[in-house]
Amino acid sequence: MSEFATLASPYIMPAARHGDVDLTDLEAQTRSRALNQFLAGVELKAFKMAQAALRHEDDALDAVQDAMLQLVRAYSDRPAEQWKPLFYRILENRIRDMQRRRTVRGRVIAWLPFRGDEGDDEPDPIAQAPSPEPQPPRRLELDQAVAGLEKALGELPGRQRQAFLLRALEGLDVAETAAAMGCSQGSVKTHYFRALQALRAQLGELYV
Amino acid sequence: MSPMNEPLTEFERNARVVLEESVSRIDGRTRSRLNQARHAALEAAGARRPAWWRGLTLMPTAGAAAAALLVAVVLWHRQPSGEPPVLEAQHAAEDMDLLADSEALELLDGWDGPFYEWATAQTDNVQSEG
Repeated sequence: MSEFATLASPYIMPAARHGDVDLTDLEAQTRSRALNQFLAGVELKAFKMAQAALRHEDDALDAVQDAMLQLVRAYSDRPAEQWKPLFYRILENRIRDMQRRRTVRGRVIAWLPFRGDEGDDEPDPIAQAPSPEPQPPRRLELDQAVAGLEKALGELPGRQRQAFLLRALEGLDVAETAAAMGCSQGSVKTHYFRALQALRAQLGELYV
Repeated sequence: MSPMNEPLTEFERNARVVLEESVSRIDGRTRSRLNQARHAALEAAGARRPAWWRGLTLMPTAGAAAAALLVAVVLWHRQPSGEPPVLEAQHAAEDMDLLADSEALELLDGWDGPFYEWATAQTDNVQSEG
């Protein structure tokens, strides 16, 4: 009995001083928890999308982090159901900025006589080494499927890849995808249809 | 045609399975960095919030104080009349009723004015004799 009384007391105290509770703080805490939950739910998929577009892990992390910050700063007071399209729109804008910057940097570097970072893109031999443990056949199939799909996604035009991933990975409907991509629903359907055609042509109908 | 709002085709279902598998393979280091990024974003927003958010929350209090001050100033300047504005208005209405009521004036004319004069005189006599 005494254990329950001890456990219960911290939860009773705030209720007894209800008049002292700052409602704005409670609202802010509730919203912060909701945002945390939302971002935790999208961050891995968002990273995958950014990685597929940028093909660089650190850049993808930067893009996702920037999108999180921007969403929390500018749109946290919006209704929660708007967060997902807004977040992916911010992320896509950030990805495009990075791609543009990379293109400009690439043009500048192409004119330089010596490029010191040529070795940076070399694959890590340790990371590339096959695992000594034998893998079950299902695991191998999935490995091949993941590698094949990631490669095919990397070769898709940006808008097609975005439409496909927002639908297939994030599960957005046409309207939400259109809001996230900043285009009409008709455009979304066209991009998605072309993405499916290209992926089918490259991967076949059944690859899992 | 791809039916985006209709059930997924087998290819799409397979693609989803593979994509989810791909997400599940994200390494611990990347997950940790994403987690840190999320908390940093939320903390940055939380640190920024009080500057304007708390200012807004104080606005009703400041507004109420300003309104109370305004009322006090108005009442202060109306003090010479000796009565609050509500009572003044009530008395003015009663005066108007009295003037408008001719029967009440006639009653007042014919009603024991001499008695009051006599009573007052009696009181004065008692005081002078005492």
